[in-house]
Amino acid sequence: MKKWQIFKQGVLEELPIQLGVFPFGIIYGVMAIESGLTFFQALLMSSIIFGGASQIAFVQLLSNSTPFGVIVTTVGAINSRHLLYSISMVEYLNKLSVSWRVMLAYLLTDEAYAVSIRKFINHSENPILHYHLLGSGITLFVSWQISTLFGVLIGNDLPEFLDLQFIIPLTFIAIIVPMIKSKSTLITVITAGISALIFKNLDINFWIILSGLFGILAGIFISKLDKKL
Amino acid sequence: MTWLLIILCGVITFLIRFIPLSGIISSDLPLFVKESFKYIPLAVLTPIIVSDLSIIENKNLFLIDNFKLYAAFIAILVALIWNNVLVTISIGMASFLILSNF
Repeated sequence: MKKWQIFKQGVLEELPIQLGVFPFGIIYGVMAIESGLTFFQALLMSSIIFGGASQIAFVQLLSNSTPFGVIVTTVGAINSRHLLYSISMVEYLNKLSVSWRVMLAYLLTDEAYAVSIRKFINHSENPILHYHLLGSGITLFVSWQISTLFGVLIGNDLPEFLDLQFIIPLTFIAIIVPMIKSKSTLITVITAGISALIFKNLDINFWIILSGLFGILAGIFISKLDKKL
Repeated sequence: MTWLLIILCGVITFLIRFIPLSGIISSDLPLFVKESFKYIPLAVLTPIIVSDLSIIENKNLFLIDNFKLYAAFIAILVALIWNNVLVTISIGMASFLILSNF
């Protein structure tokens, strides 16, 4: 297979997922404008950060006057899973030039990774498979930018009666519910949720991070306990 | 200042994706560290959800007639059944509108 064909395959395999990505981009764009970001801030954040859930969390926290340290840590924590994607790609991409690795790292998001990693695992002997990730990554990038633009443009024209801020917790519910697959992940959610109620009520600045830490520790504890039993 | 914050978040997100690929540090993390990563998104997003549902308002527990909370429960059920972001948001939002207007 030629490079161009592999690139095209990446694009074609990524396209169906855009049905889910596109509305998400519009939601982000709308929320960004609602939270008071300027047109360019809202639009360019999609290429500067390029991470859906973290961008929505960013605008939510910014509109609630959250300290900047908490916003940065939260965005980093939400995107921390990409570290694992990157680790799993090392064996396939470590022979590439620095510029290739920089470009592919930038494009390494949930949806591009999900489509391309299967290709890497099943055809690890192919030396030009990075074109597949390039194809899936660029497709997602273009779709994310266009959908953000749509959201930003309609952001100011939506009817007042819709409490749009409520879309944020709904979006996060839709993201995390499928991730709760075991007792330990369920305990993480319950602990982080209850801790958040307590710590926020105590007016602790870093309540999100602190609640998150409690949730992670509870999850690890339960998982270790289950292994021992 | 908002620009600076956006750029800082962008740099951090990029570094998270690039550092293992850069070869600067060994990508052999201990197993328990790798395992703990699966909890992080859940642990950070849940507090944001809980806070947005206004369960505690002005130091008082707000459970009865908290339509956001009711709609969130409906959204959780929908997410469990259909596992589709758009369907979950649409039904959750519709439930909230119906509950708060009737």
